[in-house]
Amino acid sequence: MKFQTPLCTILILGMTASCGLFRSEDIEPIPGTVRLETALQWNGENYAVGNVTADAFGHPFRLDNLQLYMAPVEFRSEDGEWVSSDDVFLIDYGEHGKNLVLPLPAGAYSAVRFGLGIPPEINTDIDPASYPNDHPLSVLGSAGMFWTWSSGYIFVKYEGKFALESGQQLIEPFSYHCGTDASYRMVTLELDNLLNIQSHEVTAASLKLDAAMALMSENDSINVEFDPVTHNAGGDSLGGRMMDFLVHAWSIEIL
Amino acid sequence: MVRSRFPFVLAALAVMVTTGCDRCAESGCDTPDCNPAATPYELEIPPFFPPMDIPQDNPLTVEGIELGRLLFWEKDLSADGSMSCGSCHLPEAGFADPNPYSTGITGSQGVRNAMALINIGWAPSYFWDGRALTLEEQILEPVSHPDEMALPWADAVDRLQATESEVNAAINYPDLFEVAFTDRIISPELVTKAIAQFLRTMVSADSKFDQWRRGELSLTDDEFAGYEMFLREGGDPETTPGGQFGGDCFHCHGEAGLQFSDYLFRNNGLDSTFVSDAGHASVSGNPLDSGRFKTPTLRNVALTAPYMHDGRFSTLEDVIDHYNSGGVPSTTVDPFMKYTTGGLALNSMQKNQLLAFLHTLTDTAFVSNPEFLDPH
Repeated sequence: MKFQTPLCTILILGMTASCGLFRSEDIEPIPGTVRLETALQWNGENYAVGNVTADAFGHPFRLDNLQLYMAPVEFRSEDGEWVSSDDVFLIDYGEHGKNLVLPLPAGAYSAVRFGLGIPPEINTDIDPASYPNDHPLSVLGSAGMFWTWSSGYIFVKYEGKFALESGQQLIEPFSYHCGTDASYRMVTLELDNLLNIQSHEVTAASLKLDAAMALMSENDSINVEFDPVTHNAGGDSLGGRMMDFLVHAWSIEIL
Repeated sequence: MVRSRFPFVLAALAVMVTTGCDRCAESGCDTPDCNPAATPYELEIPPFFPPMDIPQDNPLTVEGIELGRLLFWEKDLSADGSMSCGSCHLPEAGFADPNPYSTGITGSQGVRNAMALINIGWAPSYFWDGRALTLEEQILEPVSHPDEMALPWADAVDRLQATESEVNAAINYPDLFEVAFTDRIISPELVTKAIAQFLRTMVSADSKFDQWRRGELSLTDDEFAGYEMFLREGGDPETTPGGQFGGDCFHCHGEAGLQFSDYLFRNNGLDSTFVSDAGHASVSGNPLDSGRFKTPTLRNVALTAPYMHDGRFSTLEDVIDHYNSGGVPSTTVDPFMKYTTGGLALNSMQKNQLLAFLHTLTDTAFVSNPEFLDPH
């Protein structure tokens, strides 16, 4: 059997070959490196997946799985220009010490912004099998985070158990899977101080996600008791609401 | 009738062939793991499949694969010479065991159903609980396990080594190891490497579904209806956001890369407690992994009864009924089993259509491929 490899596929592979997490030895001759250390919170307190807490409605609540895609990640330089990384990151908050490591030209930066989810141009119609297996969009790299070729990737997976009342066993499941192009969001975080990147040095910042904020905003909230599920490949509004909430669930601190 | 309709076909064809040892072929051996005496083997990656990651220290070679096949079917790797690896991975059963538990040479039984050997070169972990991260590591266990082949590895390599001096030995293993690995001294590491090479060539990609994906034939109306059921969300849209009255199979048995498994560990609602078998928690130490087992592929599922990690279901109908019921609630049940209070509510016709689709994943050419059968 003879196969032809079209030019577009070659381009896709060429683009994606550079994706993924950079190691320090990979970044020469890029001048500097920023390491975003991911941290999880619940109502402002440190939180770990698997711990029991309480949601805004008083339900005993346990997050069992929180994964999300970020792409692209960009930093705003002093002259206002956004410096972009083409990398795609899959953050699994069940794994400890998951950091985003990016090359960044030396300079001072005043803000960071990132896409929450997968940009529409690479979300659908690209076969995950066309990526190398260590890529976060590959078949193995996206395990559990890919719907279908037409609906694309799950941008945010937020799963766990809750109980209807205190003292009860946590066996009620909730499962929020947010995705589809319409759910893609951009998050922009202004830095309190300039992030100074030095040549050949690593600068670290803590990127904090408050998981409680995924279920509420100032004027709206999601009650797991009544809305425990969304798999919004069908475009229902619950996933979109959660993505809107998540835009405001982040903070950053230079370390 | 239904025909192929996937727009990313061109992209899927991007990575077609993985070269097992291309550096050998191009410039002679320039790494310690390359063997100039062995013939590099090019494994053809089927359309729509992802690339296979082959360990750099165990490249595929024609001689290594053939040696691995001999060893896979070698009964002298069991203490009493009665069992080979293939004894519990029968071709007619999809290279699985038709019994819930495999019986070892002493008559004792294991505690889990033997997993099917099919496309396992793509799996990121092995065993139902994922305790082995490489094929080579997985192969180490059954030979010496007291409930399986019960032969200490030291004795196993002695037996293979002794064939060198046996006048009437049908196979001179040291000769074969020397060609495959440039080493006449047989070790457990080399035995597992050879068997792993053989197992990586056990690629199934010629089921009716594969042929349909390649545009070579059509599915029947029932088969395609079952496929659509497979891909649809479960639940009544009136009560479940996004519900599509589907089978909700694709979440865990997704068709990405045509693997029909996400290779993750899940509690699919079989039990409410996990005292007898903690599953992946016994490996990870995380209580949240209690009752979680690896998602098996659905390829050849019609041949690989019985089902589940303990072989509790005898038929595919039983399996569908389990998912249709929603399963049993527990503290670690997978969120995808979210219908534990009502099930999927598929009717008889829908269940039969789902069954018809599952049968399209049967690859009879794979199980009868002479390159995988007993050469002894």
